[in-house]
Amino acid sequence: MGQTFTIGIGGAAGQGVATPGDIFAKIFSRRGLHVNAYNAYQSIIRGGHTFLTVRTGSGKVTNMGDRMDLLIPLNQDTMNRHLDLLTAGGACLYNADAIKPGTAADGVQLCPLPASKLADISRNKVAQNTLAIGAALSMAGIGFQSFESVLREQFKNKEDAVIAENIKLAWAGYDYATQNFKPFANPVPMTDNRYALLSGNAAMAMGGAAAGVKFYCAYPMSPATGVLHWMASHARQAGIMVRQAEDEIAVINMAIGAANAGVRSMCATSGGGFALMSEGLGLSAMMETPVVVIDCQRAGPSTGVPTKTEQGDLWQMLGAAFGDYPRVIAAPLDIADCFTLMPEIFNVSDRFQIPAIVLCDLLLSEGRLSVDPKVLDFNPTIDRGELIAQTNGTSAEDGGYKRYKITESGVSPRALPGLEGYIHTLSSDEHDEDGVLISDEYTNAAKRRAMMEKRMRKVQGIEAMVPAPTLQGSKTADVTLVGWGSTQGVIEEAREILLEQGITANQLQIRWLVPLHGEAILEILKDSPHTIIVENNYSGQFARYLRSETSFVPNGHIRKYDGEPFMPHHIVEAVKEQLAGKSTLSVPMHEIMV
Amino acid sequence: MATTTVTNAPAPKTNRLGLQVLDYRGGKTTLCAGCGHNSISERIIDAMYEMGVQPERLMKLSGIGCSSKSPAYFMGRSFSFNSVHGRMPSVATGALLSNHTMMALGVSGDGDTASIGMGQFVHLLRRNLPMIYIIEDNGVYGLTKGQFSATADVGSKLKTGVINDLPPIDTCSLAIQLGATFVGRSFSGDKKQLLAMLKAAIAHKGTVMLDVISPCVTFNDHEGSTKSYKYMQEHEEAIAEVGFVPSFEDIAVDYDPGTTYNVTMHDGSHLRLRKLHEGYNPTDRVTAVTQLMQSHATGEVLTGVFYVNTEKPTFIDQLNLVDAPLGTLPQERTRPAKAVLDEIMSKHR
Repeated sequence: MGQTFTIGIGGAAGQGVATPGDIFAKIFSRRGLHVNAYNAYQSIIRGGHTFLTVRTGSGKVTNMGDRMDLLIPLNQDTMNRHLDLLTAGGACLYNADAIKPGTAADGVQLCPLPASKLADISRNKVAQNTLAIGAALSMAGIGFQSFESVLREQFKNKEDAVIAENIKLAWAGYDYATQNFKPFANPVPMTDNRYALLSGNAAMAMGGAAAGVKFYCAYPMSPATGVLHWMASHARQAGIMVRQAEDEIAVINMAIGAANAGVRSMCATSGGGFALMSEGLGLSAMMETPVVVIDCQRAGPSTGVPTKTEQGDLWQMLGAAFGDYPRVIAAPLDIADCFTLMPEIFNVSDRFQIPAIVLCDLLLSEGRLSVDPKVLDFNPTIDRGELIAQTNGTSAEDGGYKRYKITESGVSPRALPGLEGYIHTLSSDEHDEDGVLISDEYTNAAKRRAMMEKRMRKVQGIEAMVPAPTLQGSKTADVTLVGWGSTQGVIEEAREILLEQGITANQLQIRWLVPLHGEAILEILKDSPHTIIVENNYSGQFARYLRSETSFVPNGHIRKYDGEPFMPHHIVEAVKEQLAGKSTLSVPMHEIMV
Repeated sequence: MATTTVTNAPAPKTNRLGLQVLDYRGGKTTLCAGCGHNSISERIIDAMYEMGVQPERLMKLSGIGCSSKSPAYFMGRSFSFNSVHGRMPSVATGALLSNHTMMALGVSGDGDTASIGMGQFVHLLRRNLPMIYIIEDNGVYGLTKGQFSATADVGSKLKTGVINDLPPIDTCSLAIQLGATFVGRSFSGDKKQLLAMLKAAIAHKGTVMLDVISPCVTFNDHEGSTKSYKYMQEHEEAIAEVGFVPSFEDIAVDYDPGTTYNVTMHDGSHLRLRKLHEGYNPTDRVTAVTQLMQSHATGEVLTGVFYVNTEKPTFIDQLNLVDAPLGTLPQERTRPAKAVLDEIMSKHR
C-alpha cells in the first residue's frame, strides 16, 4: 500500500461535509494519486453525525485504513467523538470560535482557525469548511493551484461571486496555516498517472451501459439509489430507457417484460426491495428470460440500518424464489470490478437465459475509488446467446417453433415477440416445449420432469463459462484468509501488515458465488495449514454455504456485523489471536463511533 | 339514427387482411361450460377479426386466475405472456417500452386486478400505456373455490351463505380518476355492446380499461349473487347505446348530434354513443364518476362507455422513444457512442 494520507471530516448532516470531501478527493485524483473515500452517515436529512474518510497515496489504496492524519471536525460532536483517532504526527483543524478542543494524544497538533477573524462568518455558513480546506492544502504541501479549478467545477451552478468568495476564504485559511501551523512530515505526493474517481453505484451503472443495457428501472432505496441517479442523469445521453416504478415488484416485472421483448435490462435495489423481487426472480427463471438484478446490501433484517454496510444477504440470494432453478450470483471485489463484472454477468445471463444477481454492498456502492481508466472497457464482448431477433424471411424449422425446445445444453433458442413464424407462449406455469402450460386438466409428470431437467442442465454450461477462483499471494503461507466480494482490499492490506510482522498470509477471494467451483476451492484450501473465513455478517453466511457445498470447515472465523466495514487492523489482530490459539471466532470492535 | 345496424352487418368470410375467423381462434377452453369468460374470448376473436388486426402483431398478457388462462383460448397466432398473479401491468409496461410497435391486450380478473394487483393496476392507469386491459369480473376467486373478491358487492351472498361485508372497488371509477382514456363496463352476455366496445378499444390509443361482468357458473351464479346471469339480466342498465364504425367502412348512417356523441378515434373510426341516461357525457370525467356513484346507490349495474379521451398523449408518446423497437436495435446502437462515453468519463476525473 505504501505511504498514505488520510483526512477525516465530520459534522452534522446539512453542515456540508460532502463538499470538502469531494474537493479533496478530486484534488488527490488529479495529482495522480489513488483515492479511497468512505462516508459513514445516518438515515437523516439534517442533523445526526456524518463522518467522511478520504485516504490517498501514490500506491493502490484499497480501503479506509487504520490511521488518520488530519481531522477536520465541523462541530463539537465530531471533535469529541474522533479526536482520539489521531496519533503522533496527526493534526486537527477546527473553527476556534465554535469548537473547543479535547485532550489530544502526544504529538498531535491542534490547529485552531480563528474563523471570525479570517472571514465574515455571518454571511457564509460554511465559511469554516472552506477555511479548513485552504489550511489543509498548505499543511499537506499540496499548494493552492489545483484547488481553484476543482472548486469551479464543484460550484458550477453557483454565481461567480460565490466562487470568488470561496477562493478568497480558502486563501485566508491557506495563509493562516502557512504562518501558524507545522506542515505534515510527508507532503502529499504527485504522479503522472490519471485515474477516474467512481462510486460503486456509478461503476455498476456504467458497466451496464457498456454491456448494452437499454432498460433500467428501480424504486429508490439506499444504498442502491446511486445506480438510479446515474441512469436517470445519463438516460438521454446514453440512450437508455430509465423508469422509476411504484415498487420493487413492478421493477422486476417491468425489467422482465422489457427483457422478454429483447433488450438487456437491469435493476438495482437493497435487501428489502430484493425481498419483494423474489417472486419476479422465479418468473424470470421459469420464463427463461434473462435479467440482471443488483442487490446493494445494507445491514438487515427489515429496514435494518439503511446507511450501513453488511454482507448479510447471501442466503437470501441463494434461496430467492421457491423451487429449483439455475441462477448466477457474483460479488464484485472492488469498485473497478463493479464495472467489469457487469458485461460478464450479462453474457452469462443472456447465454443461459437465467436471472443473474450482482451482490454488492454499501461499502462499494457508496464508497469511491480511483480507477485506472484502462480498466473501464466500454467495448466488452456482448454475447446475447441463442437469440432470434430477426427472421430475415425464414421461419423456424418445420414451421413449428418451440420456445422451450428440449436441448442438450438446456438452452432453447429465444425468439422475440413479433417475429412471424416464431409464435410462442411464455408462461409462469410449468409448460411444455411449446410454452403451453401442463398444469391444466392433468399434469404430465414426464413432461414436468423433462422441463426441470432441461432448465437444470444449464448449470453445467454455466460452470464451464464462469472461472474458478484463484489463490492470491504465495502458494504456501502461515494462514489463508478467505473472503468474498468487497473485503478484497482490506484483507489485502491486512496481509501486507501481517507480513511486516513476520506472518505470511495468502488470500482466496470469492467473486462468483454461484456457481461456486467447490472442487477448485477444496484443491486450494487443502494445503493451507490454517484457514480463516472473513466476512461482514453475524452467522458466517459464506462459511455455512461453503460447508454445505464442500463439507469444508475452516480453522476460524473473523466476522463483523456492527454496520461498519473491516479496518485492516481488525483482521491483523484477529489473525494473530487465532494463530496463537486464543480463539476461533473473532468479532472485532469498531472503534470509530459513527 | 339507427346507428347500430353497422355492427350487426353479417361478417364477410374473410376480413380486410384476407384472414378467416379461424385465424383468430385459440386453443380449446378448459373453463367451465357456461363461464362468462368464454363469451368474452369469443367477442375478442370477433372484434380482432372484424377490425383486421394482424395476429402476429399482438401481445396477449395476463396474470393468474381463470380469466388469465383465457388468452390461450383466442388469438392462437399471437404472442402470449402469462405472468404471475397481479403483475401483468408491469410486465406489459416493460414489454411495450421495449417494443412499442406491438399491440397489447391484457386479460385480468377481479382478484388479479382489484386485490393482489391493485398496486400495479393504479399505476398502469396513471401511465396511459397504450393497451387494452380487460377485467373479467365475476366477484369471486374461481380456481381457489369461490372466495369473495374485492369487486363483490356488499351484501352479496356466497353459496355457503357467507355475506360479503365490505363495499366493492369500482374499477371503472378508479380508472377514470387515475387517467385511463377509455373506460367502460359491459356484460359477457351482452354480445352486441361488448363487441362494439372491443372494436372501439382496438381503435383507441391509450389505456382502455374494460370491466366486463362475467358470471362464474360454478361459484357465483346463484340467488343472492350480484354477479349472476340472472342479476345482470335484471339490473344491467346501459348508460348509452354503443355503436362503432371502423375507419375502413363507409359511414352510411346518420346520427342525431342532440342525442348521440360522435367520437372520432385516432385511426379515423367513429364511436357513436347514444344517450340513454339523463346527463350522460362521456367526455367529462366528473360526470362519469358521479353517475357511477349514483348507480351504486340504486343497485343497478351501469354499462357502456363511461369516459373517452382521444387527446391525451400516451406513455409512449411522452417518452420520446426512437421509432425502432429498443429490443431489436442492432448491437452497435445498444451502447452509448464513444463521444458520449468520453464526455461522461470526463466528469469522473
